[in-house]
Amino acid sequence: MAAIPQDSKDWMGARLERKEDLRLITGHGKYVADIVLPGMLHAAFVRSDHAHAKIKRIDTTEAAALPGVVAVFTGDEFKDHCKSMRQPVLLPNLPAKYPLYYALAIDKVKFHGDPVAVIIARDKYVAEDAAELVVVDYAELPVVLDPEAALEPGAVRVHDDEADNEMFSMTFTGGATIEEQDKNAAEVEKIFQSADVVVKERFRVHRTGTTPMETRGVLAEWSPSDGLTVYNTTQRPHIDRLAFADILDIPAEKVRVIAPRDMGGGFGLKAPFYRESIVIAYAARKLKRPVRWIESRYEGLMNIGQERGQVNDLEVAATKDGKLLALRNRGVADCGTGQIGVYWGFVMPFLGAVEMPNAYTWNAGDVRLKVAFTNKACLTPSRAFGHFPTRFAIERAVDMVARKCSLEPADLRRKNLVPKLPYTSVTGEYYDSGDFLKVWDSLMVKADLPAFRREQATARAAGRYLGIGFGCGVELSGVASELMVPMENQPGYGAATVRLDPRGKAFIFGGDAPGGQGHETTISQIVAATFGISPEDTVITTGDTGTTPFGSGTIGARMGSYFASAVRKACDELKEKITHVLAHDLGVRATVEEFAFTNGEVIYARDPAKRKGFREIVERIIMFPVNLPEGEVGGLESTAFFEAAKPMICFNADCCVVEVDITNGNFKIQRWVTSEDVGNVINPMIVDGQMHGAIVQGLSNAIFEEFIYNEQGQQLTADFEHYKLATAADVPTIEITYASTPCPHTPLGTRGIGEGRPSAVSGALCNALCDALSLFNIEITELPIRPNVLWKKLQAAGAVTK
Amino acid sequence: MKTISVTINGEAYVETVPVRMLLVDFIREKCGLTGTHVSCTYEGVCGACTVQLNGEAIKSCMMLAAQADGHRVTTVEGLANGEELTPLQKAFKAHHGLQCGFCTPGILMNMTEFLQKNPRPTDDEIRRGLVGNLCRCTGYVHIVDAVRAAANSAT
Repeated sequence: MAAIPQDSKDWMGARLERKEDLRLITGHGKYVADIVLPGMLHAAFVRSDHAHAKIKRIDTTEAAALPGVVAVFTGDEFKDHCKSMRQPVLLPNLPAKYPLYYALAIDKVKFHGDPVAVIIARDKYVAEDAAELVVVDYAELPVVLDPEAALEPGAVRVHDDEADNEMFSMTFTGGATIEEQDKNAAEVEKIFQSADVVVKERFRVHRTGTTPMETRGVLAEWSPSDGLTVYNTTQRPHIDRLAFADILDIPAEKVRVIAPRDMGGGFGLKAPFYRESIVIAYAARKLKRPVRWIESRYEGLMNIGQERGQVNDLEVAATKDGKLLALRNRGVADCGTGQIGVYWGFVMPFLGAVEMPNAYTWNAGDVRLKVAFTNKACLTPSRAFGHFPTRFAIERAVDMVARKCSLEPADLRRKNLVPKLPYTSVTGEYYDSGDFLKVWDSLMVKADLPAFRREQATARAAGRYLGIGFGCGVELSGVASELMVPMENQPGYGAATVRLDPRGKAFIFGGDAPGGQGHETTISQIVAATFGISPEDTVITTGDTGTTPFGSGTIGARMGSYFASAVRKACDELKEKITHVLAHDLGVRATVEEFAFTNGEVIYARDPAKRKGFREIVERIIMFPVNLPEGEVGGLESTAFFEAAKPMICFNADCCVVEVDITNGNFKIQRWVTSEDVGNVINPMIVDGQMHGAIVQGLSNAIFEEFIYNEQGQQLTADFEHYKLATAADVPTIEITYASTPCPHTPLGTRGIGEGRPSAVSGALCNALCDALSLFNIEITELPIRPNVLWKKLQAAGAVTK
Repeated sequence: MKTISVTINGEAYVETVPVRMLLVDFIREKCGLTGTHVSCTYEGVCGACTVQLNGEAIKSCMMLAAQADGHRVTTVEGLANGEELTPLQKAFKAHHGLQCGFCTPGILMNMTEFLQKNPRPTDDEIRRGLVGNLCRCTGYVHIVDAVRAAANSAT
């Protein structure tokens, strides 16, 4: 690790090597699958082979008799001894149909992979063997898989106790009442009637998601005196703790949830509260032995990580000189069964609709959404939470408008970007700060559009098809309580405890649970810069509800926005106390601003001879609390909460350059250039890495990954042979530029970044492909986009005449 | 059951194991070397379980422990010489070549062998060399940077 910079403030913005890395590159990380407790048992689930079927009978006799099997549980066990998964702590504050369900399926299975029984055995191989011996007698039922068909009258119902499959329906524009919404809709219709240019298209996005390299895992331990301890792969341990207590009916003080310090990625997929967690915790309590379940990739791909599946019928009205006037959208999302705690499959499409207007000014909008139950796995949150499909639609539609107006799409975008912030979008989303035009112009300098157009013309003359495409994205920087309370019934504030120890070291505790984002390093830099110490003198603990203050979790880019701000606030409170005591000791009257914390010392600025080592003054306050200023007591620990007055955002713009081979539809991404407003940067290396990863996830989603169900609702893509993730050879390198505006609403000017970042990718990619093929008037309106799709379009357009 | 002797990172492990036990489970659960990971369904696609068998990178989920009887295995724990990291490990730190770190041990084991065989790789060669290792966090950019830097530092 680097030595202390000349000025300790330089820790902010330093390309510091990560504190996390040494253990991870030497094989000494501790992920959930690496934790072993004495007497630990292993769990394996029996899952439904059918997408929809009555459970007539479950015969577990043979499985239970297998040597090494300790217990076999089926759905009745959980119906009789636990509460349902539909507990208030897991319910959003939005009106929707919330299906009643238990940790294991009761009476019928509703998707391929629905958990039916669980084996608990002494050996994981034996558990798998026993799972094969469970005989389930099913009576197959007709399935409903298409979300629009699911909404038709008389459609097969996924949940017998719900009247129909319309889980959620909402109008996001016009006002709260139907009268207001109808009035607004009429006004929007008037704009469309008189507009010069109207684009109307159906945009379809497939089911795809995030899929972290580490699958889920749960290890639960029961102690009669201490209660339940659960090591859980979760981004939200404090929410989970309440859910365990409520569903298992355990007093909340007897539940501790620990998100292991090392988690192999989350990306939203580890944010919900899952049924399997209850099964494992229940088994541990019942059997009085630790029980562990490590999800297989097969189970994971079949059950979770699926998002995005949505149809958007989008209309855009514009003037002939390219001023966007109004948008009208009718979205239908394919929710699956809706059986996932906290998110219920519809919260993502809900937010996706809110975020649809993106960075453009609209005079009016009429945005509506329906979410349908189907016999598929429930949608789970995935980075670019909810707005991957709506962003694809809007970014493609903007290019289509430009084409109709015979304008350069980049020029049309710039013309319509929100020119000045703050701004409230037509769906009511608040954009707090930043400078979209600065970000855009910075991208255009780097992309050099005129040079590209010349190169494109030369290439075209030589029979080569190059294209350039743009996209942009307004993304959440943390999720404010203003949004979190209605959306998830949970708070958005950040929380951190900073404890100083007598040796001058700082211990920081946070209730969020990172999965590779580098929280330990980033936080260490903030603390080091604030106290003028070294990042090596800090220890960061996250994810343990037994030791950390309540945190809503590592979701929605909360790190740079909320957690970092809470840490800074807690440090500042300690600085107040330290300088109060030091001023007293030095016999000066001074405020905290008159002291510099730098290079391990606290220095009185008006008389630099008056100074004390950081360790000495900290030790004095903790260990020798005598002769203190009046009213002061010893000890140095502070817990701070941070909440900005309004929601906050970050912003990015993308440029993609492609070449298409029109003879076969193959395409290659030649360049990927971005411009980012990430606010003040704490560690540029980590921020770069977040952008790289997000963009490649977006590309992988747009090109390769696709969850496919057959006509019977069977999942056909539950392994990495069939659910293809992008490899290193599939994707380009990425050129990132920064055009940041410090956030005025956080103490460090930082923004939370990286979560929503994949959303702009598919639009920029497809815009580039369509630009390359503009000669043939090819428009892409569906994802995934692959060479075979382009080839078909080229054939239809008669591009290759041979 | 079969009694086997496998030398891992220079240490001999003599254990009696079920014949069906996978090498990766032997390494992780019998020997307690948990740096080797499992991410796919034992199908050899993700590369997180990559170790070296007699110096060659292999996927330890694709063979039985019994098949490794009498052979020499190196895992990620065996790369560094005491406190001294290998140039590749150092490069991964310096270039932020990992985020969650779950795929990293497999990548280190694969690329250590790769660099021995291709000491001067182009970026395209590095990217092709990585196709057996999936990473979900980094977008591969910093991984390629790290491997290139390790190659350059080995002059």
